[in-house]
Amino acid sequence: MKLGPILVLVSAFLAMIVGPAFAEKTVIQYDCIPNYANWGAVTKAYQKKTGILVPPDMKGSSASMAALEAEGKSPKADCAYYSGAIGFQAASKGLHEPYKPKGWEKIPAALKDPNGTWWTVHTGHVAILVNTSALKGKPVPRSFADLLKPIYRGMIVYDDPRIHGTGFTFVSGINAILGGGQDLKAGFDYLRKLDGNILKYAKENSYNELLRGEVPIWVNADGNGLKAKYVDKAPVEIVIPAEGTVTMPLVMGLVKGAPHKEEAKKYLDWLLTDEAQHIMAESFFQPVIPVKLDASLQAKYPPKSAYAKAKVLPLDKLAAQADGIKKRWEKEIEGGR
Amino acid sequence: MAPLLLCVPLCVLLLVLLGWPLVHLLNQSLLMTDAPTARITLHNYLEIATVPRYRHALFWSLELSLAVAVGSTIICLAPAWLFTRYQFRGKRLMRGILILPMTFAGMIVGFLMIILLGRTGFIPQLLERLTGHPFLSGVGYQFPGLILAYLYFEIPRATLTLESALRKLDGRLEQAARSLGANRWQVLRMVVLPVIRPALISTFAVTFSVSLGSFGVLLVLSIKRFTLLPLEIFTQYIAPPTNQGIAAAMSLTLLAVAFGTGYGLRRVARRMEGTNA
Amino acid sequence: MAVTVALMAVILLPLFVVVLGSCVNASLLGLSTDLWSGSRHDIFDFSAFGYIFENYGDWALFSLELALGCVAICLLVAVPAGYALARHPFPGSGLVEELVLLPLSLPGITLSMGLLAAYGELRGPLLVLAGHLLYTIPFMLRVVMATLRSFDVARLETAAQSLGASLPQRLYLVILPNLRHAMMVGSLLVFAVSWGEFNVSFLLNRGRPQTFPAVLYDTYTNQSIQVSSAATTIFLAIVIPAVIAIQWLGGRESSDMEQGA
Repeated sequence: MKLGPILVLVSAFLAMIVGPAFAEKTVIQYDCIPNYANWGAVTKAYQKKTGILVPPDMKGSSASMAALEAEGKSPKADCAYYSGAIGFQAASKGLHEPYKPKGWEKIPAALKDPNGTWWTVHTGHVAILVNTSALKGKPVPRSFADLLKPIYRGMIVYDDPRIHGTGFTFVSGINAILGGGQDLKAGFDYLRKLDGNILKYAKENSYNELLRGEVPIWVNADGNGLKAKYVDKAPVEIVIPAEGTVTMPLVMGLVKGAPHKEEAKKYLDWLLTDEAQHIMAESFFQPVIPVKLDASLQAKYPPKSAYAKAKVLPLDKLAAQADGIKKRWEKEIEGGR
Repeated sequence: MAPLLLCVPLCVLLLVLLGWPLVHLLNQSLLMTDAPTARITLHNYLEIATVPRYRHALFWSLELSLAVAVGSTIICLAPAWLFTRYQFRGKRLMRGILILPMTFAGMIVGFLMIILLGRTGFIPQLLERLTGHPFLSGVGYQFPGLILAYLYFEIPRATLTLESALRKLDGRLEQAARSLGANRWQVLRMVVLPVIRPALISTFAVTFSVSLGSFGVLLVLSIKRFTLLPLEIFTQYIAPPTNQGIAAAMSLTLLAVAFGTGYGLRRVARRMEGTNA
Repeated sequence: MAVTVALMAVILLPLFVVVLGSCVNASLLGLSTDLWSGSRHDIFDFSAFGYIFENYGDWALFSLELALGCVAICLLVAVPAGYALARHPFPGSGLVEELVLLPLSLPGITLSMGLLAAYGELRGPLLVLAGHLLYTIPFMLRVVMATLRSFDVARLETAAQSLGASLPQRLYLVILPNLRHAMMVGSLLVFAVSWGEFNVSFLLNRGRPQTFPAVLYDTYTNQSIQVSSAATTIFLAIVIPAVIAIQWLGGRESSDMEQGA
């Protein structure tokens, strides 16, 4: 009666689950958000080239590290993509296997680990992304100091540093930008003052909201802002703050005990080729390998002079302090009473 | 004996999917994350009570769920009454629409709330067009927005629970009371309320326990200086430095509260129903 | 009556706005959820839908498969159990019922944590299926039990029994035919709930195509409002017919079983 169709459903379902798993070869990358840094296009190009699928994964840097830690000896991912300090932390926790992909020599020394437990694939910078229409006539802020002005009350958003790598880079980097010392006091004082103007500490990406003006001022990577401006054609201005900025290396590593190690290695090699780097550059994250970009693409980047004061933070120190910084932020800034 | 066998697949599934994971959680909650080989300790549970942040998370969760449960129970009396007492065209459509939010995840409701009542929400923009000033802009990020979002997805459950209980109410009792000269108010107080009390209680129980467990809305709205227990669980679990012991302890606490009140209230309701019938 | 209509309007309003946003361009009455009109210049523009299908088509497929699988397993497991619990209660059957309802009052994160701690080794889709089952079995069970507890079916079965029918015969000839309606309603409910389930699926994701609500999440955070609205519209296009169908078929049983907790 009803049993027949049910059996058919069950077997069809099982077939659908089990089948594709064996049919397609995959490489799993944690933190592979299609619309961030153009991973969608990158992985699609790779699939076209080699037939290997790198499926999207929505985890942020911290979530990826937490997942790898939880998975212990049998990780489900082959590689992971993180914002600099988190990647460093993951590597120092022994979650990565040393590997030097092809093209290793071309990466600047400051942007990789000498043993190959992590390396940068592209960089971004902390910038102030402004939706000019949403400002409704108010002047565009040009510096971090500007952000403290009361006219921007309830307009500023930055990502929760406990969850997002970019937010963390901002929170930990602001101190260095403002010339603060080891105790991070300058940075935290600034953040405390900024809190008055904050709309919310976003727990997920606010790209959509920047585009439609829901979030007028977003402190995030310049690459995202440039994409909003040129690809999605939103009235967004990318401001590199007058005080300077922090270079945010975005790093990857080969996971220890990766399920598809050989395929993963080939994938990681490919990511450093001109082709892959160029696709990433189209999302306005700067390639780590000196790649020749078309003139039109190059012109869309802010001028080099804006980045004159960009600092590269020492990742090892940052990683060591990471947990402390997050806890301190939680207590002092986010402070649930 | 044979009928019992029919139950076996379900019980097996329950054990596998629910029982074993809960055991693991219990285990995690009794160990300190940084010293996993140490002895069993109640430290994590104590932390919930002592660390202000977690304590507040728990209390705020309880308060919010209480408010939402009371609110939705009362509000949904209207549609539930309507659906049981009256037949009219389009009734099915209306019921269908009211049930719809049950399939939305908390996060989705959060996004919808921002679209409607955020800084540049639909409603403020509409009001701006009409009156020149964007009223209600940004309300979505404050408590009214939070409560509205919770109500949004509790409405289906409250309506349905109330409806099924109201069905059991015998219309003839009301008619009898009316014919004896009682006015509407008296009918309500003396005939209807006592009978639907168990229904109100079980609806409250349902909406309370479901609200307690929801964190998607707050994840999206990210209200400053406010947190809820499920969100804390999420942060402790996902955001390093992770503390799985505390996350597990908080989860089980939440489970105990939600299940305890739900079960307890339902039993009370059933007993009341028993005496009423 | 007024209150109900108001409630209905409240529920529909955001959905209406979103669906419009997916294909109509920013200048409807000058209102929009965008402050800009983007690069598109036509009033009606469905290109966002194409984008979704192209990039997330297999996620939608996965969700559909998952939902159908849930329906199948729920039917196989919950129907017999429902019969046993409703018609032949035994000591502890109340407890079983309560346990089945338990997952609905747990936060998704707790269930995910538990499942990961216990079965982290398993393949991704199976874990997600497990999560979905925890949420959908209560619905199916309730539908079936509500029907079985109703007076008519009980009488029919007792009559059959007194005429000497054995258990298998009773099941096949009396119970199942009467349950057909309930099973259909239950299946639709399970389908709708599984299709919309997000919290657990999101947290258990393992990189394989994820469920469709994850598309909603991705587009609401990382893409333009046009795209996220299109995704929402597709989501609604699947779930609304299911809900309406439940109403159509449901009748008396719908309310009893949709409580779900």
